[in-house]
Amino acid sequence: MTKVKAIFGNFKRYWFLMTQLISRDFKVKYKRSVLGILWSLLNPILTMAVMAVVFSHMFRFQVEGVNYIVYLMTGIIMFNYFSQASRDAMTSVVENFTLINKVYIPKYIFPVAKCLFVGIDFLLTLIPWVGIILLSYVGLGEHTCYINWYYLLLPYIFFCMLLFTLGMGLLLSCLSVFLRDIWHIYGIVLTLWNYLTPVFYSIEILPPKLQFLMQFNPLYQFLTAARTIVLYGQAPSCQTLLILGALGIGMLAIGSLVFKKNQDKFIYYI
Amino acid sequence: MIDIKHVSMKFNLGIEKEFSIKQAFVNLFNKKNRKKKEDFWALKDVDFHVGKGEVVGLIGSNGAGKSTLLKVVSGVMKPTKGKVDVHGVISPMIELGAGFDGNLTARENIYLNGAILGYSKKFLDSKFDEIVEFSELKDFLEVPVKNFSSGMTAKLAFSIATIVNPEILIVDEILSVGDIKFQEKSKKKMMEMIKGGTTVLYVSHSLDSIRDLCTKVVWLEHGKVVKIGDTNEVCDEYYKAQMN
Repeated sequence: MTKVKAIFGNFKRYWFLMTQLISRDFKVKYKRSVLGILWSLLNPILTMAVMAVVFSHMFRFQVEGVNYIVYLMTGIIMFNYFSQASRDAMTSVVENFTLINKVYIPKYIFPVAKCLFVGIDFLLTLIPWVGIILLSYVGLGEHTCYINWYYLLLPYIFFCMLLFTLGMGLLLSCLSVFLRDIWHIYGIVLTLWNYLTPVFYSIEILPPKLQFLMQFNPLYQFLTAARTIVLYGQAPSCQTLLILGALGIGMLAIGSLVFKKNQDKFIYYI
Repeated sequence: MIDIKHVSMKFNLGIEKEFSIKQAFVNLFNKKNRKKKEDFWALKDVDFHVGKGEVVGLIGSNGAGKSTLLKVVSGVMKPTKGKVDVHGVISPMIELGAGFDGNLTARENIYLNGAILGYSKKFLDSKFDEIVEFSELKDFLEVPVKNFSSGMTAKLAFSIATIVNPEILIVDEILSVGDIKFQEKSKKKMMEMIKGGTTVLYVSHSLDSIRDLCTKVVWLEHGKVVKIGDTNEVCDEYYKAQMN
């Protein structure tokens, strides 16, 4: 109990630093750009538009019985959150080596701040996402996506994904201190992961064997749960919700344990 | 205030090599000449005590372990052996401005750097004007720090770092900051803090400033304590040893 208290006390003490790091990221990201924070809204719309043209018109992708544009956009923003946040978190510890070497700061603060920063960006992308959903009422795409009460479950799903990403970020940032190759490897892994996750296709087009294996892709679970609500207007099963929670907490536990065990050694690998 | 108990610090010099595939490959075939781990002891059994209000100077040639000792005390590094007990809030002034982001303005950096040093938002809000005034950079508040001269950066960093009245102050060679006017000002500020009862660990190569400030001096060489004691006595002996 005292240990838990100590962790939260520590968190509180460094919360201000966390907010400063996050606001630094925002300021640096939008410095000297005319549209500034509007890019956070525009980016997903434009990416989605490009992908929608490529996949629904050039490759004639369709997902039976649902609005493909909303299907696509849900997948893009969720997968992008994960890939962006985990990649930024991965490099965050090494990039702040000069600081770690000079002042005592709890080192977990860097990957956590990155995941939260990208998280805020993700929340902003939800605005155009809702906009697209509303447009489906007036005839964007073939099917209308009705906003329903199950939307209240979405924050839970996103939160589980945040925990999962945090765990991944902690794990990668720790490993990459010792083995810088991780940076390059993970870039490839993410590309592969992108294709192995049904962001722009439906798993029905895959052979049954792959469909079964897909169950073990955590991102598939997160995406599917959100899509069940948004596209089908149904609640994900209790079992699914439990799996999501377990994925989030489990990954976070693995990440923080590895990080905690090795953080005192970081200083030797600068 | 600070208890340094038999502290030793080991670095592994071979660490870079160990991790390349090339070296692993060479080692595979060349078992005899396999690169031995090169242990380097930056600190060997350092043991002393700093009482409340004492100003302790650390002297020694380059690579003697002074900065490493400061890092161990401030918690950046954990000692390989031994233990450091610190009672009180530490304000580390090891290398000023390490936490600046060049893309941010001076104003934004005051908050960022303050947060890194562990200040609260409320505290920074209340001390903001004082920091700006001391730094003499009022007209440059909205300028990105990357456009500052090194002197200006150092002034700003010094002003942020010394705005607190810490119980323990760790200083690594910073009094030579800015122009002559600012140097005098910063020296005065340090003296004020010391008189206010702050415990100070001070590293410098300037024996004059050590003689001015310190009540006690620790002389380190090759990670070992050569001598601890009265400021003038140790400084004289150190000077003689260096000149020969």
